[in-house]
Amino acid sequence: MESKPIKILSVKQISIQAPLSEEWMDNPLNYSEDYVRAVDPDFKQFISAGDARRMGKLLKRTLATSLSALQEGGIDNPDAIITGTGFGSIENTELFLDALVREGEQLLKPTQFMQSTHNTASSLIGIHTRCHGYNSTYSQKGFSFDSALYDAWMQFRIGRISSALVGGHDEMSPVFSGFVRKAGHVKEGEICSEAAVSVLLAESGDAYCTLDGVRLVDTPSADDLKAIVAEFTASGIDAVMTGRSGNSENDSWYGFLDSLLPGVPQLRYKPLFGVNFSSSATGFYAAACCLRDGRVPSVLSVSGKPVECSKGILVVNVVEGRHYSFSLLKPVCGR
Amino acid sequence: MEEMILKLKQEIIEVLNLEDIKPEDIDNDAPLFGEGLGLDSIDALELIVLMEKNYGIKLQDPAKGKEIFKSINVMADFIQKNRTR
Amino acid sequence: MQERSVLITGCGIVSAIGQDCGQVLDSLLKVRTGVGPLKYLKTEHTEFPVGEVKLSDEEMERMMGIVPGTPTTRTALMGMIALHEALGEAGLNAQDLMECGFVNGTTVGGMDKSEQYYLDFIGNDSRNAYINTHDCGSCSEMIADKFGRFRIITTISTACSSAANAIEMAADMIRLGEADIVVAGGSECITKFHLNGFNSLMILDHNQCRPFDAERAGLNLGEGAAYVVLEEAGHAAARGVRTLARLSGYGNACDAFHQTASSPDGEGAYLAMSKALKEAGLKPADIDYVNAHGTGTPNNDESESQAMKRLFGSSMPPVSSTKSMTGHTTSASGAIEAVICILALRNGFIPVNYAFEHPMENGIVPNMDLNEGCRLRHVLCNSFGFGGNDSSLVISAAE
Repeated sequence: MESKPIKILSVKQISIQAPLSEEWMDNPLNYSEDYVRAVDPDFKQFISAGDARRMGKLLKRTLATSLSALQEGGIDNPDAIITGTGFGSIENTELFLDALVREGEQLLKPTQFMQSTHNTASSLIGIHTRCHGYNSTYSQKGFSFDSALYDAWMQFRIGRISSALVGGHDEMSPVFSGFVRKAGHVKEGEICSEAAVSVLLAESGDAYCTLDGVRLVDTPSADDLKAIVAEFTASGIDAVMTGRSGNSENDSWYGFLDSLLPGVPQLRYKPLFGVNFSSSATGFYAAACCLRDGRVPSVLSVSGKPVECSKGILVVNVVEGRHYSFSLLKPVCGR
Repeated sequence: MEEMILKLKQEIIEVLNLEDIKPEDIDNDAPLFGEGLGLDSIDALELIVLMEKNYGIKLQDPAKGKEIFKSINVMADFIQKNRTR
Repeated sequence: MQERSVLITGCGIVSAIGQDCGQVLDSLLKVRTGVGPLKYLKTEHTEFPVGEVKLSDEEMERMMGIVPGTPTTRTALMGMIALHEALGEAGLNAQDLMECGFVNGTTVGGMDKSEQYYLDFIGNDSRNAYINTHDCGSCSEMIADKFGRFRIITTISTACSSAANAIEMAADMIRLGEADIVVAGGSECITKFHLNGFNSLMILDHNQCRPFDAERAGLNLGEGAAYVVLEEAGHAAARGVRTLARLSGYGNACDAFHQTASSPDGEGAYLAMSKALKEAGLKPADIDYVNAHGTGTPNNDESESQAMKRLFGSSMPPVSSTKSMTGHTTSASGAIEAVICILALRNGFIPVNYAFEHPMENGIVPNMDLNEGCRLRHVLCNSFGFGGNDSSLVISAAE
């Protein structure tokens, strides 16, 4: 594990919880529906009407959370902009695809096509902030944000950058919400949701917490998992943030934590933020907020009890029982 | 012609998603691109689609679009002379 | 950080000009275009010449031994063919892959099937298996899983620079010691979705495209897949595997200008190329050949010309675009063209800019001579994507 500190200066979200706020920590919004769209802020404070007219919801949310994070962190031009999105701008994809299939191959709208490519979000931020730095987009289903975070981690370690804006952004149209249920991406008992999360990382500045390690691995053996967990918890943690959702198949993927970290409180974010290809970003966000505030609210805790927060949180994401990501968040020294 | 101009403005507002703008806000002689309404090359492409869809006028060369879309009056005049619908 | 250099120990390709490295080499040496009338894609727009891979889905399934009826997509099939060749050349079996990474570039993913079955997805359950093949990540998994279980799989989707960025990310992983071998590249088939999308942007040429020509009128879409096996030098030596070439540098920058157009002065392109040279420890004069992005659109070729002029000044090396032969293979282009660069390095020739006739007023004049028997040391390979995602690779001769 590297010793060079990477600080999390800001994390901002638009999700099914109150937008751009941590209201969810003590007064979460509760839902009985199984498909819930994000609660949007007033975008006019971030985006002019002229710019907004061409943007679907995903792009507006990407820009709003990105600008908020940059503002809070006091950085105008990050050295890197890296985004993860599982489906991209699915609304525009759907509009174009629907017209193509139902009306034929004439008179299709260029704006819809243009906005449908996955890297539109990342390049939009680049255009808006006039950033010529490193810019990339990952699309690996529920592992997209994790991949983007890993790339940012590598860019810091190689010494190319001293700041990065990393995002996990996914929207879900009504039509595609039906598809993802059929495909099993969203399971029984889980809320199909949307999320836009922007994380500002930098080597200096006032921080929520620090990012001390990122690891990705596919189809690890039991020994692999034992070694990784041991490495990541060597300096002590308060809790592990998991992608448990209440669905038994999904939750079985986190069973290894029961045996490897007995007695370590487990946290879960999916009942609050729902499930989408960017939900691992909401877990990361929730962990960062806990460390910033020095407390884990009971709404996150699997046991329902509040948990101490002074040593660190291990964030674990398991996708389809084969893709595993581990990130270690630690409190800022001196707190 | 006035009725056609009003309809054209409404169509442009709809297709380009100019939410905050009403037909009376658009001056008939003001430039549509660059200054004035501030439209860009992607808007020009959308207007090319609109011309064909609503008026049956097919524009093969996107560069020609900039001349035809100079202002509402220029556009309306062109449509009047070339429409097939 | 301890220096870990990145070698290329395997490559595989399938494209309009050949279904493996040998066939592609032959086409390049004969200057034979693969662009022609549409044959495989069922579309109304038969007026556009395209660079299709000359294989039907069924033929590709048979080549890869896939049981008929198994849900597959054209992008995944092409990816499997190219990956099969790359792994074979590098001598990697299923067991070896458990220690290797796989980084794939794609944007359309399984859209070829989604656009066929979209109404079924909505109205019935007959094609549900294809919902799972729609997204980019699933496509990468299908390609990778055919050969074993890789250690890490991820997918980059930055439009036309996807595969180049995949190669860059893979190289970073090796340099940092995250892995000793990472296979990277991209795959993309032509779909009605993006054929119509590009048509709505009015950047398709109704004739054979002519990169860097004064009368160029747009691009021809292509399809294909290519992968390179990137390997840490010490690891390759220990394995005794042949080195094909070296990845000596790479750079990624954002043009930050417009979602579908490049800036007039090609700032993003200039920065990407500069970064790549800097990482390689080379000067512009060290570059013996540039495989340009060169799509044939008025905008790109002007912008890229300006960027190259700024970078190379009076020491402009031979430049050509091979897209007039392969078509613009979008997400796969960075890898397809990297493999073309490797073939040029290993076989001592400079690819020709097929279909060029009239010099641009202020553009670069592309290479029209094969220069057979020449010795190339360092080659620059450009990929510039929509949204200003610009990437450049420096590929050097094996020592």
